[in-house]
Amino acid sequence: MSNRPVLPSDAELFELIVESATDFAIFTMDIDRVITTWNAGAERLFGYSEPEMIGASADRVFTPEDHAGGLPELEAKQASAAGRANDERWHQRKDGSQFWASGLMMPLKDGRGFVKIARDRTEQHTANEHLRESEERFRLLATSIPQLVFRTRVDGERTWGSPQWIDFTGLDLEASIGLGWLDAIHPDDRDATRDRWHEAAETGDYYIEHRVWRQRDGEYRWHQTRAKPIDKIHPVTSEWVGTSADIHDLRGLKDRQQMLLAELQHRTRNLLAVVGSIANRTARNDVSLDDFRKDFQSRLRSLSIVQTLLSRGEHELIDLRVLVDSELSAHLDGGIAADRVEITGPRVTLGANAAQALGLALHELTTNAVKYGALSQPSGRLSVTWDRQTRGPEHAVKLEWQEFGLELPSGEPDRKGYGRELIERALPYQLKAMTSLEFRPTGVYCAITVPIPDSDWTDG
Amino acid sequence: MAEPSIQALKNRRLLVVEDDYLLADDLARSLEEFGAQVVGPVGSIHDALALIASEDDLDGALLDINLHGQHVFPVADALAAREVPFVFTTGYDRVAIPESYADVPLCSKPTDALRLAQSLAEELTR
Repeated sequence: MSNRPVLPSDAELFELIVESATDFAIFTMDIDRVITTWNAGAERLFGYSEPEMIGASADRVFTPEDHAGGLPELEAKQASAAGRANDERWHQRKDGSQFWASGLMMPLKDGRGFVKIARDRTEQHTANEHLRESEERFRLLATSIPQLVFRTRVDGERTWGSPQWIDFTGLDLEASIGLGWLDAIHPDDRDATRDRWHEAAETGDYYIEHRVWRQRDGEYRWHQTRAKPIDKIHPVTSEWVGTSADIHDLRGLKDRQQMLLAELQHRTRNLLAVVGSIANRTARNDVSLDDFRKDFQSRLRSLSIVQTLLSRGEHELIDLRVLVDSELSAHLDGGIAADRVEITGPRVTLGANAAQALGLALHELTTNAVKYGALSQPSGRLSVTWDRQTRGPEHAVKLEWQEFGLELPSGEPDRKGYGRELIERALPYQLKAMTSLEFRPTGVYCAITVPIPDSDWTDG
Repeated sequence: MAEPSIQALKNRRLLVVEDDYLLADDLARSLEEFGAQVVGPVGSIHDALALIASEDDLDGALLDINLHGQHVFPVADALAAREVPFVFTTGYDRVAIPESYADVPLCSKPTDALRLAQSLAEELTR
């Protein structure tokens, strides 16, 4: 018996616990809330020593705001009535600083007062506050950006869709969660949309371009949808957040750009083929390499005039007046002498095809005039005039090239060259033009009537 | 010396569809030099379809894909319906052409007359 260890009494044990529990402030008060005991934890937490507090009011650990709100009385009343009062709120230390405490107040059994236990929960409270704020920020962001935002599991099963998603697709939250949202995806895109989720589990990244149904007008619009796991290390178990951005118009622009590029390529290659063909023809007619070089260069210049005008003009239309001026002045050093050359006609616009063919023909007429015709003799005169013609739905322009004041040997010169081929064969073939070319004793007369499609016909 | 396969063009009646006169004329001349008889050339879908309808005797065709901004595919379909082989000439890349014509040989512009003739001859002897 003498070897039996001496067990502490209940009171001793209680005191031991209270004193060692320094994480907890444990103190008692009488019925008027005057402190009767104050443990080491209370000292640590509130900054008041035991002698300072014994006999002092327990209310001094409340914040001034709670004082004003009568909280100390309320809490005591509730503890008396219900046997306990829990609280989660700010408390005030001796130095005036505050901390977030989670506390419990209970009446003592004999009704002589209360015991209060409090713990510093400032860190948890702050962490909770941050979490709440960050959730709030997410929600604010997710609901205010134009993109459709969603939360999902790694298998694509959604848990939340932003109000924009609901507005856009007309699928409410209930209809969207799980795989319900797939109803808003174009049927042809659904398989790919789901398959990408299998890949996403491995790559930690979801990406697809698919069409999403817009409730307002029933249009499927291209969207770019991306999602990422919140926990990048564990994408399979993590929640994912994603957005769908409307790229419909952007895609349209991209398609258009691709089409324009294809057209440009087509035109460039076609032009190269034409250049090759002109080279062949020039070589066929010219005897010397020197002649070839001169003629070929001047024909290339004529071709490039049209290309320059095309790239400058709006809607790929070329003003006939500008075309005539350009082709003529390109071959007349010192410009067009107004007293010898007359150019008149109403406003007419030509499409690329007509402008190119007509430009080449005008170039040949000019070259001929400079070499043998109206522009080779001081007495020569040239008139280039045109008129708009409309018969029913058909529009056309009739251009007349007339050279005067020449004294030429009678009879048609034997020039069945390239220029003549262009006027008599190429223009009718390519533009459905009606043409006539005459070598009159006074000079060349050429008439070209070119039909103009409705789309290129502009009011004069 | 001509490639042996080009012999296949001799006396064959070949339709040429090309909207640019200079290129059409060059093509026709080249084919004639290889011994073929040229039908056309024509520069529009309308004229091409009219020719196909009136010509009983067609052995092959050269089709420019873009005719004044319109695609030549209706002409291609009309020829395919009569099992007349044809070759495309174009400035477009293969990607710009519908997949249903994936089997049709494509000669990029500017075309090399000999290669074009060979490609057409291959289609004719297939």
